[in-house]
Amino acid sequence: MTKLKLKPKKSAVSHRMLVLIFAGMATFLQPLSAADNESWRIVNYWSEWCAPCRVEIPMFNELSRRLAKSNVIIVGVNFDEDPRDLTLEIADDMGIEFQTLSQQELDLLGLKPPNVLPTTYLLSPANEVMAKLIGMQSEQDIIDALTHQGLTLLKQ
Amino acid sequence: MIKPIKIPIAALFVSLFAWSLDFVSGASAQTQLQNLPSPAPINSSLSRVVANESGEIYLSWVSQNAGQATLAYSQLSSEGWNTPEEISQGSDWFVNWADFPTLSVDSSGMVAHWLQLSAKGTYDYDIRARFYSRDRQAWTNPKTVHTDGINAEHGFVSMLPLEDGTTLITWLDGRETKHGDPLGAMTLRAGVFDKYGTAAKEWELDHRVCDCCQTSSAMTEKGPIVVYRDRTAQEVRDIFTTRLIDGIWTSPKPIHNDNWQIAGCPVNGPSVAAKNEKVAVAWFSAKDDTPKVQLVMSNDNGLSFSEPIVVESPNTNGRVGTAILDSGSIVVSWIDTTEPARIMLSRYATTGEFLGYTEVARSSASRRSGFPIIEAVGNSVFITWTDISSVPQVKVARIDY
Repeated sequence: MTKLKLKPKKSAVSHRMLVLIFAGMATFLQPLSAADNESWRIVNYWSEWCAPCRVEIPMFNELSRRLAKSNVIIVGVNFDEDPRDLTLEIADDMGIEFQTLSQQELDLLGLKPPNVLPTTYLLSPANEVMAKLIGMQSEQDIIDALTHQGLTLLKQ
Repeated sequence: MIKPIKIPIAALFVSLFAWSLDFVSGASAQTQLQNLPSPAPINSSLSRVVANESGEIYLSWVSQNAGQATLAYSQLSSEGWNTPEEISQGSDWFVNWADFPTLSVDSSGMVAHWLQLSAKGTYDYDIRARFYSRDRQAWTNPKTVHTDGINAEHGFVSMLPLEDGTTLITWLDGRETKHGDPLGAMTLRAGVFDKYGTAAKEWELDHRVCDCCQTSSAMTEKGPIVVYRDRTAQEVRDIFTTRLIDGIWTSPKPIHNDNWQIAGCPVNGPSVAAKNEKVAVAWFSAKDDTPKVQLVMSNDNGLSFSEPIVVESPNTNGRVGTAILDSGSIVVSWIDTTEPARIMLSRYATTGEFLGYTEVARSSASRRSGFPIIEAVGNSVFITWTDISSVPQVKVARIDY
């Protein structure tokens, strides 16, 4: 299996990015906290009734595993704002293997709910929205979004 | 996902006569807004307000408690709201903020639906309905509206009473999504049902539609019109109409080419209203990630439409409703997402002239606040929504123009 590792694009990469993107130097954010400013976040809004959301979940599960040692983490948000215990139950039913944010954790990110499901945000370590990917995404779409920010993937 | 209900009747009457009245100034119009007491208990949501041909108002809602859901309704009389009546209850319902029960009322009876899971551990659910005949003074046993027998998604129902006492029911039907390579698309289907719940006719209106947006229907002088969000093979999801003319459905056509291309779920269906030959359709779109609520009007029973009027952009997440007053003016409900979010009504003349707006209530852009629903009676609009500022509870108000 191809293992992915992040490295900076040679050009157009700031010093801050360089510090952040070497996989060996990365920290894995768990749990999410306002103090954490070293990880990029891929924030995926999903809902149980959203068919394209369910379709892309396995891709995010796999990508999450491959990014586990990098400084990019994938987190999910239940668009329906169900109570926490129900949200976790639904996430489990949907086979979601990455972290599902609580409302408090989501509030720290300051994201506005999207108009379309699924929607996936790419947030910088400073919680800036660097990309908003509307609709169902492929793994390549996500990798392209990372690449566009100067983050590239190394095959190991 | 499913929760039952106990209607606290005592609590209901405590607030029954706590009517409040406000005068609300819009851009150019002064309207009178009355917050009516709510017949719905706490932990209620998913409400709809509907009028019969005599202008009598009915409110339906879903209450949830301890894993069970209950669908109930009440009629507004001169004495206030009648004692709520339970329509159905279950612990295996699919209860969803965007896809929720409909109540249809006319002089001969009522029809109500809810969604019931058809297979455990899946997202498959059926449209179940009960039919009430005033002659029999009784509801039928629950019936499944669709006849495919396939465990798939079925929902986003709209209902329209017809002159002969039957009801046109329109819904999204996922029967084709369970087979084929690639899997088939969500379809739009409709049927005509009598007061026993027997289907007299059934049609497929569109073979490929958006999976997750509400349908809406209204009666014109020429017959029923149905509006919905289409889905092309290129994932363009614009609003389409089809009309039943002399027993034949017209070919679906767009009301406007937004060209909103998204491989996702907007969860934001259109709303249609009709009075005589006039038709109004409001809808949400977000092409280029720019949210927009638009309105088009027709003076020929939906055969053709005006160019769109932008009701609001970009501070909205849609959730629109449409009503036509006896005066001919058109009212559009929508959510203003400017903090704090508000439920708004905008009114337009048939010429498209903006006549004013009304702020109905502070709300929330949250999904839990649901979709406000409006209904016109004379020159008044009744509106219902869910207040989630504390324990969720259905609210209802009347706005006189």
